[in-house]
Amino acid sequence: MDLFFLSLIIILLGGVLPLFAGRQFTAIKTVAVAGIGAGCLLGWIDSGIKLSQAVPFSRSFQYLKMFSLSFQIDSLSAFFLVIIFSISFFATVYSYHYMNKPEKAVRVSVNYLFFALLIVSMALVVASGNMIAFMLSWEIMSLSSFFLVIYNYQLPENRKAGYLYLVFSHVGAMSIFAAFGIMYGQTGGFEFTDAAGMTETVKILIFILAFIGFGSKAGIFPFHVWLPHAHPAAPSHISAVMSGVMIKTGIYGILRIYAMLNLHTPVFGEIVLIAGMISGILGVIYALGQYDLKKILAYSSVENIGIILIGIGIGMIGVSSNQPVMAILGFSGGLLHLLNHSIFKSLLFMGAGIVLQKTGTRSIEVLGGLIKQMKITGTTFLIGSLAISGLPPFNGFVSEFLIYLGGFKGVMLEKTPFVLSLLGIISMAVIGGLALACFSRVLGVVFQGEPRSPAAVNRDEKGPAMLLPMLTLAAACVLIGVFPQVFMESAVKAASSLGLGYGRIPIEPFMELTGHITRAAAIFFAVLLLILMLRILLYRNKLITRSGTWGCGFTQPTVKMQYTGSSYAASILGFFKTLAPLTEDHPAIRGRFPEKTHYHSKISDIAELHMENVIVRPVMFLFDHLRWIQHGEIHLYIGYILLAIVVLLFFV
Amino acid sequence: MIEPIVLWLLAILLAPFFSAVILKVKAFFGGKKGPPILINYYTLIKLFQKGSVYSTSTTVVFKLGPVVSMGTAVVALMFLPIAGRLPLISFNGDVIFVLYLLGLGRFFTIAAAMDTASPFEGMGAAREAYFPIICEATMFMILILFIKITGILSLSGYFAGPQALFIWKAAGPQMFFIIIALFIVLLTENARVPVDDPATHLELTMIHEVMVLDHSGPDFAFIELGAFCKLFFYSTMVASLVFPFDMGTPMADIGLFWGSLLVVYAAVGVMESIMARYRMDLVPKFILTSFALAFFATIITLEF
Repeated sequence: MDLFFLSLIIILLGGVLPLFAGRQFTAIKTVAVAGIGAGCLLGWIDSGIKLSQAVPFSRSFQYLKMFSLSFQIDSLSAFFLVIIFSISFFATVYSYHYMNKPEKAVRVSVNYLFFALLIVSMALVVASGNMIAFMLSWEIMSLSSFFLVIYNYQLPENRKAGYLYLVFSHVGAMSIFAAFGIMYGQTGGFEFTDAAGMTETVKILIFILAFIGFGSKAGIFPFHVWLPHAHPAAPSHISAVMSGVMIKTGIYGILRIYAMLNLHTPVFGEIVLIAGMISGILGVIYALGQYDLKKILAYSSVENIGIILIGIGIGMIGVSSNQPVMAILGFSGGLLHLLNHSIFKSLLFMGAGIVLQKTGTRSIEVLGGLIKQMKITGTTFLIGSLAISGLPPFNGFVSEFLIYLGGFKGVMLEKTPFVLSLLGIISMAVIGGLALACFSRVLGVVFQGEPRSPAAVNRDEKGPAMLLPMLTLAAACVLIGVFPQVFMESAVKAASSLGLGYGRIPIEPFMELTGHITRAAAIFFAVLLLILMLRILLYRNKLITRSGTWGCGFTQPTVKMQYTGSSYAASILGFFKTLAPLTEDHPAIRGRFPEKTHYHSKISDIAELHMENVIVRPVMFLFDHLRWIQHGEIHLYIGYILLAIVVLLFFV
Repeated sequence: MIEPIVLWLLAILLAPFFSAVILKVKAFFGGKKGPPILINYYTLIKLFQKGSVYSTSTTVVFKLGPVVSMGTAVVALMFLPIAGRLPLISFNGDVIFVLYLLGLGRFFTIAAAMDTASPFEGMGAAREAYFPIICEATMFMILILFIKITGILSLSGYFAGPQALFIWKAAGPQMFFIIIALFIVLLTENARVPVDDPATHLELTMIHEVMVLDHSGPDFAFIELGAFCKLFFYSTMVASLVFPFDMGTPMADIGLFWGSLLVVYAAVGVMESIMARYRMDLVPKFILTSFALAFFATIITLEF
C-alpha cells in the first residue's frame, strides 16, 4: 500500500468514525481532528518526499469492469498535494476549538465527514491520471464542498449561497465534460496523455471550454459570482480550505490541460493573461467595497487568482515566443503565488473566524480596536495583510517579484507579447496598490482604533488550537519571504513537469534571485534593528505619558467619529465607479424637527448585476416556453425515450 | 566599498539640509527672510531630546510606524546610485524591491494613523492609500521604457555612470516626458504642493502631515528624517536624469551631483511658491497626467 492512499484512508476514517460517536461532542472532535490531522500530516510528508525526489508514481484500478481509474503523481501534482495536505492539516487543527457548539454535535460530525471527503477528493483530483478518475473526484469535491457551504442551513442566505455554488460548479463541470468529450471523440481514449493528434482549432476549443469550466471553480471573473456568497456561509476553517486550496484545483486543471494539449500557441497566453488582469483588478476593487469581513477575503481570492493567472499567462506567452527564462519565471512565479496565497489566505480566514466567533459579527463597521485584547490574532492578521499586499520581506512579494521579472522579460519582445506584458505589469502594479489600500483598511477598521460597538469591547482570544495554526502560518509567511530558495526550487520543479520541452531546467540562475531577496531582507532587518536600538537609546530616562488622541482642538470625540471602512474606501471606489457602481440609500433630512435618518451604501458587482439580465432571464424565458414538454403524462415520457433511442440509432 | 557607504551616510545626513532649501526658496518668493538653512537639524535635535505622549488608543503598531517608515526610506537609499557612483547594493530587479519596500513604509504609516482612532488621521490614511496607486503605475511605466532601452532592471542600470546619458541618447525627446512624470511622482509621494501642502493649517486638507499628528518626540523625528530621505531618493532620480553628464573624475561627478540636486529642490520650492494646492478630487487627474506622459513616452519609443 502506498503512503498516498494510506493517508487518504486515514483521513476518511477520521471523517467516518465520528458518526458513530453519537452526541459525544468532545469525542467527535477528538477522533475527527486526530484522524484527519494524522492523515493530512502523513500525506504532506509523503507528497513532500515525492516532490523533492521527483519519482513519478502511478497506480490504476478497475472501475465497473469497463473503465480504469488511473492515478499518477508527477511533480506538478506533488506540488499541489503538498498545499492541499498542509493547509488542510492546519485547518483541521484549527477546527478543534472553532467548532464550539455542543448542541450541534451531530451536525458537526456530518461536517467532518464532508470535510474529510473534500480533502480526499481534492487530493484525488490532482493525482488523477485519466478523465474518468478526474471527473469522479471533481464531482465528489464539488458536492462535498456544497454540503460544507450549507452547514448553517437554517439561514436562507446560506441556502441561497449553497444553491448558487451548486449551479456554478455544475455549469463549470458541464463545460469540462464538453472539453473532455471532444477530446475523447478525437482520440478515443480516456488517458490524459493521448491528446497529441488533434488539429489546432480543436485544441483551442478544448482549452476555452476547459478554461471556462475550471475558471468557474477557480473564481475567475466573471465566473466568480458564487465565491463571495459561499465563503461567508461556510464555517471559517472550511472557507480557509475552500479559498486557500479548493479553488486552486481550477488552476491545476488549466495547467494540466495546457500541458496535455502541448500546443504552443499565443492564444492560450492571451486568454489567461487577460482573464487574470480582469479578475485581479476587479477582485480587489470589489474587496475594497465590501463590509463583510469574509466577503472581503473572498473577493481578495478572486484578485489573487488573477495574479496567479497573470503569472501563468506570462509563462505561456514566454513559451509561445520562445523565451524559456520568461516562461519559467512566469510559471514558477504563478505557482509560488498559488502556494503563498494558500498560506496567507487561510491565515486571514482563520483570523476572521476568531473575530466572528468572539464578536458574533462579520461586519467590519461595528468592530475596531480588537488588536488590544486579541494580540496573537491581530499580529498574525497584520502579517497576513502585509504578505497579501505583496510587500517585502513577506512571501507575497517573492512570487510577485518573479512574475514581474517574467513580465519585464516579455517587455523586451515586440508586438503582441510586448503589449500583453506591459498590460500585465501595469495591472500588477495597480493591483498591488489597491491590495495595500484594501488590507490597510481591513486591519485599520477591524483591529485598530477604538471599538465601534459593544460587540467589539473586551474580547479575549482563547483556544490554542486556533492560535497555533495561525502562528505557524504567519511564521511561514516570513520564512518564505526571507528564505524563498527551497520553495522557489519546488515551484520550478512543478513547472518543469508541464512538458515545455526545455529538458532539465537549470536551477542556479533562479537561486541567484532568491539569494538577492534573502540578502536584501537581511539588510532591511539589520537596519530596522539598528533603528529600534537607537529608539531605545533615545527614550532612555525620558518622560512618556499617555493621553487621549489629539482631536485637533475638539475635546469630546466619540468612537462613531472614526473613519469607517466605507469612508476609507469611498474616494478610491469613486475613481472606479463605472466598474463598481455605488447605490446609496439616504433619506434627506427635512423640516425643522427632522426624523431619524439612516445611510446604507452598497457596491455592486457588475458580473452579478448583469448575470440576472443577460443569463438568468433569457434562460427562464426559454424554459418557461418549453414547459409544455413537461406535462406529467407518463406514457408520453416513455414515448420521448423511445423517440430519442430511435433518433440516436439513425445517427450513431 | 568605502565610497558607497560614505555617500549613503552623506545622503542621510544632508537630506534635511536640502529640504530646507525648499523653505528658503519659498521664503524668497514670499519676500521673507525665512528660517535658517539648518532649521531641519535644529528641529530634529529638539525632537530627539524630548519625550513622547502616546494616545490611549494606540498599540505597538503606532510605535512601529516611524521605525519602519524611516527604515524603508534609509534602505531604499542603499540601492540608489548617488552622484552616478555605484550604490551599496544592486541586483537584477532591485527597483521592484525598492518600490515595494517604500510601499511597506506606507503601509506602516497608514497603520500607525489608523491606530489613533482619529477621524482626521483616517482621512489622511485614506488619501495616502489612494494617490500612490497611480504613482506606482507611472513608476512601472517608466521602468518599462528604461528596460526597453537599457535591457537592465536595476537602479544602477539607469543612474550610475554613463547610463543616464545612454538613455538620453536613445530616447532624447521622450525624456522630457519622463522627467515631468517622475517629478509629478516626486511631488505626490512626498506630499508637496500641488498634491498636499505641508504648510497648511487645516487638518482636513492635509495628507501626510495629518497622519502623523499624534506622533511626538524621537518617534516624530524618525518620521521627519524618513520623509527627508524619501524626498532625497526621488530628487536624486530626477536630478540624475536632468543632468545625466558623466564628468569622468569622481570629484567632478560628485560636485555636479550636489549642484543638480540643489536645482531640483529649488524647482520644488518654485513649484510650491507659484501654485496652490489642488482640490482633492483634482489630484488623481494631476497624477494620471504623469501616467499618460510615461505611457506616451514608451509608445513613441517603439519601433514598428
